[in-house]
Amino acid sequence: MTGYIVRRLADLVFVLFGVSVLVFLMIRLIPGDAVDILLGANTDITPERVAALRERLGLDLPIHRQYLDWFAGVLRGDLGVSVWTGRPVTEEIVSRLPVTLEITFLALAFALIVSFPLGILAARARGGLGDVAVRLVSIVGLTLPSFWVGVLMLYAASIWLPAWPTIGYVPFGEDPVGNLSRMVLPVLAVSFPMIAGLTRILRSSLLEVLSLDYIRTARSKGVSQRRVFSKHALRNAMIPVITVIGVQLGYLLSGVVVIEQVFAVPGLGRLAIGAINERNYPLVQGVILVVTAVFVFINLLVDLTYTWIDPRVEVA
Amino acid sequence: MRKLLPALLTVLVAAFPALAQQGTLEIAVDQAPVGLDPHLVTAFSSFVVIGQIYDGLIEFDADLKIGPALATSWEVSEGGLVYDFELREDVVFHDGSEMAAVDVVYSFERIMAEETGSPQASRFSQVESVEATGEYAVRFTLAAPFAPFLGNLSNLSVVPRHVVEAEGDLQRVAVGTGPFMLEEVVPDTYVRLVANPDYYRAGQPQLAALRYNVVPEASTRAAGLRTGSYHLLPDVDPATAQTIQGAPGVELLEVQDLAYTLLGMNVEREPFDDPAVRRAINLAIDREEIVTAVYFGNAVPGGPLSPGLDQWALDTDEFACYDHDPEAARALLADAGYEDGFELEILTFGTIKVVSDLAQVLQAQLTEVGIDTTVNVAEFGTFVQDWRNSDFQAFVSLNGGNADPDGYLYRTFHSTGATNVYQYDDGTVDTLLDRGRTTADDAARFATYAELQRILACQGPVAHIAYATLFSGVRENVDGFRQMPTRGMRYLRETGLD
Repeated sequence: MTGYIVRRLADLVFVLFGVSVLVFLMIRLIPGDAVDILLGANTDITPERVAALRERLGLDLPIHRQYLDWFAGVLRGDLGVSVWTGRPVTEEIVSRLPVTLEITFLALAFALIVSFPLGILAARARGGLGDVAVRLVSIVGLTLPSFWVGVLMLYAASIWLPAWPTIGYVPFGEDPVGNLSRMVLPVLAVSFPMIAGLTRILRSSLLEVLSLDYIRTARSKGVSQRRVFSKHALRNAMIPVITVIGVQLGYLLSGVVVIEQVFAVPGLGRLAIGAINERNYPLVQGVILVVTAVFVFINLLVDLTYTWIDPRVEVA
Repeated sequence: MRKLLPALLTVLVAAFPALAQQGTLEIAVDQAPVGLDPHLVTAFSSFVVIGQIYDGLIEFDADLKIGPALATSWEVSEGGLVYDFELREDVVFHDGSEMAAVDVVYSFERIMAEETGSPQASRFSQVESVEATGEYAVRFTLAAPFAPFLGNLSNLSVVPRHVVEAEGDLQRVAVGTGPFMLEEVVPDTYVRLVANPDYYRAGQPQLAALRYNVVPEASTRAAGLRTGSYHLLPDVDPATAQTIQGAPGVELLEVQDLAYTLLGMNVEREPFDDPAVRRAINLAIDREEIVTAVYFGNAVPGGPLSPGLDQWALDTDEFACYDHDPEAARALLADAGYEDGFELEILTFGTIKVVSDLAQVLQAQLTEVGIDTTVNVAEFGTFVQDWRNSDFQAFVSLNGGNADPDGYLYRTFHSTGATNVYQYDDGTVDTLLDRGRTTADDAARFATYAELQRILACQGPVAHIAYATLFSGVRENVDGFRQMPTRGMRYLRETGLD
């Protein structure tokens, strides 16, 4: 087991190296560098000044030199400094990561709490009114884009509940109530698609398990309906659900990027979008590297969960 | 004694609570400031904040008249080459050190120094020398008369030398002489400024603090204004303005914008190398329809200068090609050898709604006179690069204006102009532009710019389309805020909260 984890973490290093090269090239393939973007279409700046500015930012060096300089820094744990503010990239990311993780995990928790009863309800009442209602709602949830839902909820709240603070972010440590009340709408908005997805997979997975022989055996032994569900069916229906949770967490992260924009929440997504728009190369590279690491790490956790749920799955 | 003055003022303010500043004004802006150094930044989001922290020698008011700031008075020599400024003697920087003539000279030299790489240097290229002629007197000597000099000088932020030398630059620290001082920057969340207790204008600022909340979504900013989370939205697009209009407790302010939308044409390439084709394009454009369809009526058609510059701008009646006439356009195109029209690709970008909408309406209007038009909506960075390299047949964009006619016209239309991406080269226009900037007499200047406008409106490389109404939204308990055509926010120091 320990050997497995160590091997997976070693893989992580290679993934990160590959991603770092890709990101480094991709962000530079987009036309326009930080200087072009900042000057925009509207300044009376001379070409000599542009060159001077580019030199200040080290953008005049050949691309392999830029990469080697940056990579040498990464090996020392130094992700460089943000082009315009001069703040260390690591510092920028560390200040934003908790915000994004808070939304992500609150949304995940909320999605789990809601989708389990819904999925079980739909499976038990298969073909009945409850089942049809749940399936209908989950289709809607999958179809509506979360940013649109977010804007709509925000607008409604501004009219009917004007006193409710819904925009922006305050750290939990400073003001727990303010923090959570601002989390409600973004968390709702990003969790809808996940609730819909999880409910559907849980329902179909449960139905599949329920039709298996051992369930029939349990039932014929006289085991109560409740026990059949909780003890026999649910746990065995979990493997596909866990896989979907792993995949959905990726979508959730990307949903959070957009929703941070809508609710003016200063998370990693805002940082990344701003950095890409202003071609803040070191910052883009740093954020992508960290998000990749988080993603790979989540996948590892998902894989480890399989063995916990189903001891027959071996990882060695 | 002078060291005592700030201390004395602090005591005075403390002794008269009625004078003390009150309240925090919550402002919602779309973007965080990109750096804070007044000599290095170019982003509008930075200037909105920096404008409260630093002062220049002089400043524009809402009517675009120049008034005193750090300078109390100035004299221009006969011939317009020497400018003498008298400075205020009661100004201190936010760190308590005094502001004097040496700081003005240092600030100017810092902008001009090659290693600073300041984008503002080209604005002062006519200045031959700057010297302190007294502890509180500065003299600028120009190489040639330059009429827009005072206007450009309003952009010279005075910074303290010892802070720059200690910090390297002023991107993260801010020490100026302005009405507000930098207190806190929380990236992508807010920037907080607090009142400068030693500010040299008595009774200002009235607010205790300003908070610039960074809110990228326009609909979110509008929702925040509705609920009272924000007191002021400095720049509201026409579509959002419609949704705010009539909301309880909210007031919309409006002013004529200096920025304009345009169709830019590359005169190096066919068919825009032919002035008759450029004229035909102007005839084919229905500006009234654009004002309705793109701006919901909140704009006016305009020529090379904004109608907001009423002392300079000609009425569009003076431009014959502004009467929408598709038949005449077709006839002109046929005479020029394009009886079957031609293929046209309009380059544009998607981040400003008015711009991408305009490109579509122009596509329809130009297609009507037989020009086979396609629109290429590029990512903004790509757009800028192609624009800068003159790699376009035509483009649609939104350009910022300038309070002095030279500020826009020279750099755009002079054959050596820094943003003449159209490759426009016209001897008469060059002569007039050179004359305009070296003429001191206002009536003579007006005649020169009137002639330029007539030439450029119909034959120039730019079809100027419309000048929007600039909206800002304020809560009704906000007092004394005035919107400026330049989008500057100097009136924040006179703003109070009930």
